[in-house]
Amino acid sequence: MPNRVVITGYGAVTPLGLTAEDTWQSLIAGKSGIGQISLFDAADFVVKIAAEVKGFNAVSYMDPTTAKYTDRFTQFAIAASLQAIEQAKLKIDDSNRYDAGVLIGSGIGGVNTLSQQYAVLGTRGPARVSPYTVPMMIADNAASRVSIITKMMGPNLCLVTACSTGADAIGIAYQMIKHGEIKIMLAGGSDAAVTPIGVAGFQQAGALSRNPDHQKASRPFDAKRDGFIIGEGAAVLVLESLDYAAHRGAGILAEVVGYGATSDANHITQPAESGEPAVKAIELALAGINPDAVDYINAHGTSTPLNDLSETRAIKKAFGDRAYKIPISSIKSMVGHMLGAAGALEAVACCKVLETGVIPPTINFEYPDPECDLDYVPNKARTADIRLAISNSFGFGGHNSVLAISKYS
Amino acid sequence: MDVFEKIKQAIIKVQPGIDEIKIVPAARLTEDLEIDSLTKVELALAMEDAFGFYLPDEELQNVATVGDAIALIESKMKESKLRTQNA
Repeated sequence: MPNRVVITGYGAVTPLGLTAEDTWQSLIAGKSGIGQISLFDAADFVVKIAAEVKGFNAVSYMDPTTAKYTDRFTQFAIAASLQAIEQAKLKIDDSNRYDAGVLIGSGIGGVNTLSQQYAVLGTRGPARVSPYTVPMMIADNAASRVSIITKMMGPNLCLVTACSTGADAIGIAYQMIKHGEIKIMLAGGSDAAVTPIGVAGFQQAGALSRNPDHQKASRPFDAKRDGFIIGEGAAVLVLESLDYAAHRGAGILAEVVGYGATSDANHITQPAESGEPAVKAIELALAGINPDAVDYINAHGTSTPLNDLSETRAIKKAFGDRAYKIPISSIKSMVGHMLGAAGALEAVACCKVLETGVIPPTINFEYPDPECDLDYVPNKARTADIRLAISNSFGFGGHNSVLAISKYS
Repeated sequence: MDVFEKIKQAIIKVQPGIDEIKIVPAARLTEDLEIDSLTKVELALAMEDAFGFYLPDEELQNVATVGDAIALIESKMKESKLRTQNA
């Protein structure tokens, strides 16, 4: 018999707050975490706005030497992980060390470190490059550092699936626990790519909004949307088998009931126009579940013209006429696109929706797009008793990843 | 600032959490100051910045204590003084 898999804790560091709870309060208040880029001088950039994490102090979560030799994306992951473990009241000791694993992905990895050391290489030569360059920049460093700090000694994994990373990390961790390979997994994603090369790269790919009004630029499903806003941060969840959670008397926040993943096999940046592969991912996430039970969809909703259109088509194909009755919202309207962390934060948001009965809105929804005509919970949070939510995540490379999360009963 | 003080500052720079009281000439880099192989390279880079000498790997291999680092720097200073006098 497969294990049931429950969520017992979560943590987050986001453009809207340094904890999951602070972030949630801002989300349901419809606040935007987007502003002018302050992490570097963006004067020469067409795109001058981002969703930056503000006021983060790494040494609140780790010793100063660890802080010195970790990239910002790893620091965010450490903070989110420690918050999640604290909420779960999870104690790691000799009795469960090898029963607890870490799977924290990153879409980009330590691009800040790579950029800085590349500059050292160019100006001062190879003998001056930091010996910490490789361990700080490689994408698995978040998971590795979290394992070192928490002494969780089960699998220590990283997964890289662009903007689906966070959802896939949770999905794979869910499957590992479901099939009895491990009892506890810390799963999520982290990214800190608001750097000159990160912004320039996405800008040149045409993915970013060129709207100079930072409060209004992220407008998923709105007719005037023109791209996403690059964000940063981390979100990490504690997943465990229901048996283990019950055995240790843990408080259960929600249950992961499904995960579906497919590939567009089509284009390296553009989503499949038909939305068919995304429909298949939704069907897989709901295998064995009546799709009529889905009463909230946390959209990928990046605010790019293509994503929001193909996602809307996919939702319509997956749910038929019921698509018009299911509230759908995109928190990217407020936190921007946190890349590899996005899917993980969206899973946290689903937990909060299930717990509190409040749906965060899609802000900046002003001009209806005739092709995006579903209920996107425009501009204001809404109260509703939600029992089953799905969260869509899609990524460059054609990744389609869908999580199904339900109230625990 | 004397050589010891400059080296001490370099150690604090590369190992910012360190208890400064532990940094004495007899302190062993690995066992007493918990400076691992990666941080030892960072320390060499910080000492190069502080003193303006290039410190080749083969000479650094023999540096096991703070005192060894002082001796290495002092020998480099002597070499450079001789070179200046002979020039």
